[in-house]
Amino acid sequence: MYLPSGVYHETYGASHAWWQTGFVRGKMVLLVAFVATLPLYANLYVVSVANIILYTILSALGVQLLIGYCGQITLGHAAFIAVGAYATAMGVLFWGLPYPVAALVGCLLAGVWSVVFGLPSARIKGFYQIMTTMAAQFITVDFIITHYVSRVGGREHYFSLPPGTITIAGWPVDSEVKVYYLASALTILSMAALANLLRTRVGRAWIAIRDNDIAAEAMGVNVVAYKLLAFFAAGVLAGIAGAVWIPSLLFVSPEHFQLSWGLWLVGVILIGGIGSLYGVAFGSIFVTGILELLKFAVIPLSDVYPALTERFLYVKEAAFGLAIVLFLLYEPRGLAYRWQQTKNYFNLWPFAY
Amino acid sequence: MRRLALGMLTLALLLLGGTAWAQEVKLGSLNDLTGPTSDVGKDIALGIREAVQYVNDTGGINGKKIRLFLYDYGYRVPEAITTYKRFRDFDRVVGVLGWGTGDTEALSPTVGKDRLPYLSHSFAAKLTDPKTAPYNFVYGTDYSSNARAAMTVWVEEVWMKDPRFREARAKGEKPRIVMFYAFPVPYSSAPIKALKNHAELLGFEVGADQDVSLVALDTKSQVLAAKGFKPHLAWHGNTTMSVAATIKDAHALGLGADHIVNNWGYDENLVRLAGPAAEGVMGIAVNAFYGDKVPLMEKVLEYGKKVNPGVPPEARMIRTVQSWVQVLMMAEAMKRADRAGKLNGPGLKEAFETFRDWTPGLGRPPITLSPTDHRPGSVIPIYRIKAGKFELVKQVDLKAKWPKQWDGEWFGY
Repeated sequence: MYLPSGVYHETYGASHAWWQTGFVRGKMVLLVAFVATLPLYANLYVVSVANIILYTILSALGVQLLIGYCGQITLGHAAFIAVGAYATAMGVLFWGLPYPVAALVGCLLAGVWSVVFGLPSARIKGFYQIMTTMAAQFITVDFIITHYVSRVGGREHYFSLPPGTITIAGWPVDSEVKVYYLASALTILSMAALANLLRTRVGRAWIAIRDNDIAAEAMGVNVVAYKLLAFFAAGVLAGIAGAVWIPSLLFVSPEHFQLSWGLWLVGVILIGGIGSLYGVAFGSIFVTGILELLKFAVIPLSDVYPALTERFLYVKEAAFGLAIVLFLLYEPRGLAYRWQQTKNYFNLWPFAY
Repeated sequence: MRRLALGMLTLALLLLGGTAWAQEVKLGSLNDLTGPTSDVGKDIALGIREAVQYVNDTGGINGKKIRLFLYDYGYRVPEAITTYKRFRDFDRVVGVLGWGTGDTEALSPTVGKDRLPYLSHSFAAKLTDPKTAPYNFVYGTDYSSNARAAMTVWVEEVWMKDPRFREARAKGEKPRIVMFYAFPVPYSSAPIKALKNHAELLGFEVGADQDVSLVALDTKSQVLAAKGFKPHLAWHGNTTMSVAATIKDAHALGLGADHIVNNWGYDENLVRLAGPAAEGVMGIAVNAFYGDKVPLMEKVLEYGKKVNPGVPPEARMIRTVQSWVQVLMMAEAMKRADRAGKLNGPGLKEAFETFRDWTPGLGRPPITLSPTDHRPGSVIPIYRIKAGKFELVKQVDLKAKWPKQWDGEWFGY
């Protein structure tokens, strides 16, 4: 832990504080102020991109918890987001639950459902686990939701909610700005909750399991119970992401939660940095931002070179894959580590040691 | 040095390009050129660019040039959303040409709220009900009507006339149908409810549905599962690649059923991919095939050569023609809105709703829209593959056959 000269702790509480210097506290206040005031000066397009970034962060948090902190590889995370989204939508539409209650039910359901598919992890690791989590994806989205859940109430394979049905204590969530505030509040809450959880006995146990499950067991960590707890927590986080998806679109369909989204989220944490919470934020901003910036590059130029939009497009698809490959080669610890290095550089600047 | 020169040239062109027209009308287009539906999406995108060029060459929108913002979203819903919002807030388009069922339906509440007309390649029946999707428009008949029409034509033209079924008819057997489609994909499963309903209406026995993924290469297990039912007819609800795989496997394993295919699985590639197995396959086309002898087709061929000389005409498909229908329909609505002095979202919607028996040619049956019904029409052409070529079997007018259901229970599903 780096502390500048003249800063020292006199209590245990202070030495465990999240932000230990006035400078860091100031940065965080600025960050919160930036998040809170963004819609005041940004146009709606920027807000909607921010919404997608927040949704990606919420989706990837659970993946980061499982892969980055507990060492349980998962590719089926989109399934649990789908459970959260569908439970929320159905709660609001068919059972007349208020949105927060429906979202809470969705989170718990997603958590329990995630535990069901976490059960095999008691016995298996690695590649076999990839198979079970993929099975979660197919069983949940392609089978149960498509065939049974979607047919509830005589509808077809999707739900659309009439505008104005999503209200929080009488406050209608009916515009992008409101969705942005909802999503950013939930993102900050989830981040804070997970960050604190990782500093407790539970989080330590997860990290022990990740680093060496045999040693963890020898030390008295109940590996199976903690693995299932990790699956439960990841499922709840996925449920929160699903609950945010609903008001932003007022619509939910099995096509929104395909396997590709689960793979995408793994890409997000690879780029952001495995085993780092703000890596999730960096990764989400990076992958969403890159795609948007490419639009800014391609759309104006396509007036001059029409071929750009048709023949040059694989570049955009390749950009994501290339980013992952290059990150694994040159930045194996992701953007989060680079951020750490940058901060260190300025801590010591202008001296090199 | 060369790179620098190219950059300068680009800048110069950008500066010059913006001054040629006094005014421009902005049009956004969401396309899939890299995702799972790119097998048909690529040809669509080429066609859109050619058709916009044609509109601009023939006077644009009452003298205003269309400026096209065409963008690929790789069939990823989140990216479709951000791209749409970019079109709305950043590029400030007056209308959007949409693509997939998943994203079109997802954006449907949003476009209604933004009052931005959205003319999609997805023809899901839900999009044709102005009560739930006021700003969604389609240029082709919806999947449910397509399915009903294809079944009807098969019964009338094959089951009742073909000597193969004389024995079965004499015994009073009911025709048997089985459906192959991708369960989780909204496009594929959209017409299934209507199919089952229509099967009942026409007196079919329905077998167990078979799940075939959009990227399936081997469908033997599904075909064998269906074979036990001895179907006379098979419905294919996917896109060309997997439909071709299924038809080939059905041919190889002797399923013995006739095939009817939904419009996104029925194009020139089906013949290329399925070869002799495609012989006699019937399907829906919402307009004429590439190179058919219909009004305006010579322009389609000409602009194909002019705008995209690198793509040989034999590689082009009906999808190009569909794009032309889509763009010309949008352009027509823009012209009408512009004449009324309301070239904006709501004005464009009103202009669409004034369409009465309008057709761009290209073998598209006349399109009629009204403020209470966004179904483009009730006439659906059904084709058959004969010696590797598509021939028109019959045009069905569903409204004339079942007027009560057409305006009642069939509306919007």
